[in-house]
Amino acid sequence: MGERSGRVGKRIGCAAIVAAAGVALALSVHHDVQLTTSVTTPQWIAEQTVELQQEECIYHAIRAQVPKGAAVYVASPDLYATQRLAELSTLWAVPQANIANARWRLSLVPARGHCSGLALEVRRT
Amino acid sequence: MRALVMLAVGLGAPGILPAVAVARRNPVAVFLAPLIGAGMAAVAAAIELGAGGSVVADYMVVAVAVNLAVIAWWLAWLRAAQPRAIATRARSWEWPVLTLAVVLGCLAVPLMALRAPTIGWDANSIWLTHAFMVYGGHHELLTGLKNVAYQFSNPDYPPLVPAVGALAFKFFGLGNLHLATDMTVLLSACALGAVGTGIAATGIGPGIAAAGRGGRQPARIAAVVAAGAMCIAGFAVSGLSEVEGYTDLLWAAAAAGAVIWGLVLPHSAQALGVAWICAAVASLTKNEGLITALVILVLIALRYRPLSLPGPTARTWAERAAFVVLPALPGLAWAGLIRQIGVHDAFFRSASAEAPLTRAEATIAGMAAHLAVAPVALAVLAAGCWFARADRQRAGLANPAWLWITCLGSLVTLFATYVIGGFEIHWWLGTSVSRTTIFVQVLLYAELAIWLVMAVEGAFTCSDWHSSQRPSSAGERVPEAPGSPREPLPEWHHGLPTQ
Repeated sequence: MGERSGRVGKRIGCAAIVAAAGVALALSVHHDVQLTTSVTTPQWIAEQTVELQQEECIYHAIRAQVPKGAAVYVASPDLYATQRLAELSTLWAVPQANIANARWRLSLVPARGHCSGLALEVRRT
Repeated sequence: MRALVMLAVGLGAPGILPAVAVARRNPVAVFLAPLIGAGMAAVAAAIELGAGGSVVADYMVVAVAVNLAVIAWWLAWLRAAQPRAIATRARSWEWPVLTLAVVLGCLAVPLMALRAPTIGWDANSIWLTHAFMVYGGHHELLTGLKNVAYQFSNPDYPPLVPAVGALAFKFFGLGNLHLATDMTVLLSACALGAVGTGIAATGIGPGIAAAGRGGRQPARIAAVVAAGAMCIAGFAVSGLSEVEGYTDLLWAAAAAGAVIWGLVLPHSAQALGVAWICAAVASLTKNEGLITALVILVLIALRYRPLSLPGPTARTWAERAAFVVLPALPGLAWAGLIRQIGVHDAFFRSASAEAPLTRAEATIAGMAAHLAVAPVALAVLAAGCWFARADRQRAGLANPAWLWITCLGSLVTLFATYVIGGFEIHWWLGTSVSRTTIFVQVLLYAELAIWLVMAVEGAFTCSDWHSSQRPSSAGERVPEAPGSPREPLPEWHHGLPTQ
């Protein structure tokens, strides 16, 4: 009797473990499926494609408007744009922490028709 | 598509021989090969920084050297091995193939998000910037990392992701900047694949295979399903950041893989090798990965060379030290190299003006918000230890304390970093705590998956085993199953039962 109730108890305990762990894992899977669905809508993909094209447009604009190897100072109204300019200048220009050491000042400004609403502004310091 | 080609040909092909040498026919080899390739790329980037050259040339040198070493080792092993031992291995393909199919299928679900070419903030500011520097060669990398204007990019971060991105750009050109992000996400999937195949191995391993009768098939099926679910759960805990090219899931999943293979699965050279490779990948991905990998490697050393081990003390300590230093060497070498050129991390540069208590309270609240799975995992641990402990011992798995000590170690390290660090705490937590806790979350989900497999095994075998359970003082013993025939161990699990 004791052995049989022990077996039943173990089966119930194991079933509870399977249920708890299974539900937790299933909820997590469900969350990821929802997340993936939300970032694979045509609208989201189109928005992200535009952003990537904008980034690649700025990348090419730097190479078109700034002499190779130039010391540049990057400054834009927001931090993200400033960091993006420094990043996209890599391999072409040399970003400077101090404007006094730079020959060119780069910034991103709103503009129609250029890089999806942004344009690279290049000025001599 | 280009990223997949790069993963398979550029990273997987040079890494397949070492992966098979370590993992044999275990499906983890498929995921290990690109990770080994990425590790070799990181070493190449370190050589580029320290000694010169370009990442492609250095990568070829490293890949050829590693593959020659593996071939030499293999020839020596074949010469020393008994021909009969080689010939009599069981050849079972069904479960490895099923595991591989399920894990790959499940990983494909979150990877569909790559259809949107999203590049996140860090992916731009840190990883793409560093990938450009590595791409540019020794001078560009050295001057770039030392340039104060790039301070925002955390120049001390390890080189695995930038090196892989740079290699991809070398293969396919700089025409598509999202390629580097794709590579990061695919490598994260590979690391999760290593975790998933490790979980599958808990149900297909020698303990359950030896148990025979009713419990075997359900536990095996549960293990494969849990492995697949775990792969998706890994992406779920990292949220959108992972498909945006953040590297936190990569190091966290690699470190979790090291825990599963090194601190959960039974002792074996195979499991140890996989754990070391995963730890090396984590240590080369991010600074948090290096610290976590060191903690895991210390625990693995203590598990494989316990303090209670008899014999010469000096030799045992030397072995323990080798267990830690050997796999961590590439990550430690990078950390040393980067400090030698005068680059330091930004987190501890200035002292915070906030009171430590304020920072501690904010940190606890911030971390707790991302650890909702912890109470469930604790409850399952308690129930598992009560109801399925014997099944876990029979499966040859390690004491769950190893995994929980790793979790606690990681949380304590994180907590200390946030409290001692210099950044404003609420901003710092708001921008990072969802990512720094990914490792613990992945580990806790893995713990749930493992107990699920053990509980399925326990539910189906308790009639067979209830009367045959013997008290065991050793936490990882695999007792004989009275009356049940022992199956020959599948070759892809070669070496696992060497307790």
